[in-house]
Amino acid sequence: MEKQNSIIEINHVSFKYKGSTEGLLTDVNLSFHQGETVLLWGASGCGKTTILRLINGLIPHYYSGDLEGEVIVDGKNVRETELFNLAGIVGTVFQNPRSQFFSVDTDGEIVFGPENIGLPPEEISKRKDTVVSEMKIERLLNRSLFELSGGEKQKIACASVSALLPEIVLLDEPSSNLDWNAISDLRESIRKWKEEGKTILISEHRLWYVKDLVDRVLYLSEGEVKKEWNGEGFRNLSETEVAELKLRPTSLEEKYIDAFTDDMGQITSKHISEKEGAKSEDSSTRSADKEEKVILSEFCFSYDKKRSRRKLSKCIKDGNKEVCEGLQLCIPNLVLPEGKVIGVIGRNGTGKSTFLRCVCGLEKRCPGSITVSGKTYSGKDRLKLTYMVMQDVNHQLFTDSVKAEVMLSMEKEDEKRCDEILDRLGLLPFKEKHPMALSGGQKQRVAIASAIAAGAKLLLFDEPTSGLDYAHMKQVGDMLRNLAKTGSTILVSTHDPELLALCCDEVIHIESGKLVR
Amino acid sequence: MHIALDPRTKLYMILVVSMVVLMTATTPFLWGVRIFMTMVPIILLFIEKKYASAIRFLIFYGLALVLTFFFLSEESSGILTAILIGYCGIVVQFMPAMITAWYCVRTTKIDEFMSAMQKMHVPDGIAISLAVVMRFFPTIKEEYGAIRDAMKMRGISFGDGNALKMVEYRMIPLLFSCVNIGDELSAAAITRGLGGNVKRTSIIELKLHLWDILLMMLFTMVLAVFVYCKYFG
Repeated sequence: MEKQNSIIEINHVSFKYKGSTEGLLTDVNLSFHQGETVLLWGASGCGKTTILRLINGLIPHYYSGDLEGEVIVDGKNVRETELFNLAGIVGTVFQNPRSQFFSVDTDGEIVFGPENIGLPPEEISKRKDTVVSEMKIERLLNRSLFELSGGEKQKIACASVSALLPEIVLLDEPSSNLDWNAISDLRESIRKWKEEGKTILISEHRLWYVKDLVDRVLYLSEGEVKKEWNGEGFRNLSETEVAELKLRPTSLEEKYIDAFTDDMGQITSKHISEKEGAKSEDSSTRSADKEEKVILSEFCFSYDKKRSRRKLSKCIKDGNKEVCEGLQLCIPNLVLPEGKVIGVIGRNGTGKSTFLRCVCGLEKRCPGSITVSGKTYSGKDRLKLTYMVMQDVNHQLFTDSVKAEVMLSMEKEDEKRCDEILDRLGLLPFKEKHPMALSGGQKQRVAIASAIAAGAKLLLFDEPTSGLDYAHMKQVGDMLRNLAKTGSTILVSTHDPELLALCCDEVIHIESGKLVR
Repeated sequence: MHIALDPRTKLYMILVVSMVVLMTATTPFLWGVRIFMTMVPIILLFIEKKYASAIRFLIFYGLALVLTFFFLSEESSGILTAILIGYCGIVVQFMPAMITAWYCVRTTKIDEFMSAMQKMHVPDGIAISLAVVMRFFPTIKEEYGAIRDAMKMRGISFGDGNALKMVEYRMIPLLFSCVNIGDELSAAAITRGLGGNVKRTSIIELKLHLWDILLMMLFTMVLAVFVYCKYFG
């Protein structure tokens, strides 16, 4: 009887990717029932993604390797089924919203799948209309995908999968790049699929948003299923049990989100300039002792090119109350403690990234200046004082070895200092390696090493922990703490409440380009 | 006014312009035909409200024309003039094709393009490859922007005065991220059935409108006049 119900069968599967020596999966046996929602849970590299790829056929048809055993999906043996024949049965939402689009416009993306499998045009239009109204994405239609926020892109990705009406939906860490609101939308999409009776497999590090939806949870480690709970049992896990498994807590994020949403409700009535005044007074009285400060002033910016640097600066000096109207960023004054880790939070597309870009001097039209230890930096000098570790660190590694990367940042090449810096970040063993051959976390540290070598005092991090599991997130947190101890001031923009709880001394909250906390 | 041209018309325009561009204009009349032909995509860009690029093209092309006809002659000498002659020669000769191609890429949606390819019975393999190229332009632009920012932060925008380094620092991260994105993109596309052996359909109904026919006739005439005057006139 159970055999009849199961839609996915994984029998004695072992797999390793081409070129790697260790087996990634060893003798895995799993079966999933029709209509079941299952969470795959475990640290990075535990084989979650590999299992999803076995089911959607990317293994062995796209990623090659040694595959033993068989995978049966909806009565078809995946190994013998061509990928396009699986397309109408299995739909996949991937991690990175940027790279899962084929079209450049939203409409084309939603109908892309149905067009591929050769449905008649009338049927495709009908499906498109249904999906659009069900997911409430009317306002996203007829837009360029490159203009959408991460959350909006992920919604289109879900719609595009939905339009193929798959029996099985796989989600591979879909929330990694999303803020809390976008995650709630994602949860709604999953809930809708569940109501429609689809079989859903989610691989995820963040647990809070799926925990009410799942019927079964599989814990993977070293390519094997180590533990299994039913939905009820999983929801009743205590925090200590979760911590023992080195995984992200199931409830922490929710607490934060509640706290922040309340906060957002309150601030609307207050005038921003009062809030500003209160903020700087508040923080100066609180830390009136010998502590040094980093003062940011006149951080205003508009994408409108007519609002030049001088004009913005004059507006602020005149105390013009209307100055914040229509600006993408308006932070006239902000005092931060030196040598601390400061979290920057806020929704996607609300000005966090703009703020960081202005602080590090990438936006020339921003009049802002930074005062550290009595010295004021503005304009191009900001570039020297600060360094931003980007979300995609691949963009900022230019040379062919870790050593060269660090040396490039030094004004005078000094190998001894280079070794010191590398040692501090635990990178000394990789000194001669090519930066692109390192893991994500190591690359991040190489970027930091070059920032330190350049003498940056203010380090900015843009979403350093998106897509990381608990252990790696904790590493980043510890590293930020250590950097702060050695005197750097750190601004870290994040959606990750656990990181905030772990390492941030202070949190500033940006909403529509303004400071609210 | 809005003119939505059929992708097939656009492709035909590219074809004609490329052919004309490869034949040198020898008489003032032929120059006139050529300039007239170049104005068409520029006007179309204006109609599509792509003012910035239209004006930029107009200025570059106009400047090169003015320089060629009024300031440079065969007797000009000197290094600067030589560079200028080279520059103007290239711009005057090939810019028309570039403007037309730019217009087509900027105003064609990928699904329109795919649909047009199907109507012309181009094999899916070729159509998909071309579509991916179109999809990649904005991605490269995005990635390049991020890399330029990173270089600014490191203060290596000018590669320490070494031109080769300047190119290297830009190209290496760009190649890496494009390869990664391309890989993920293909995986995502094939899980949604791309490359199957069924005939792909399209919800876009392409039809040649009056404007398409007029433009095709116009460009056919341009080509005919140019060839006739140059080789038989």
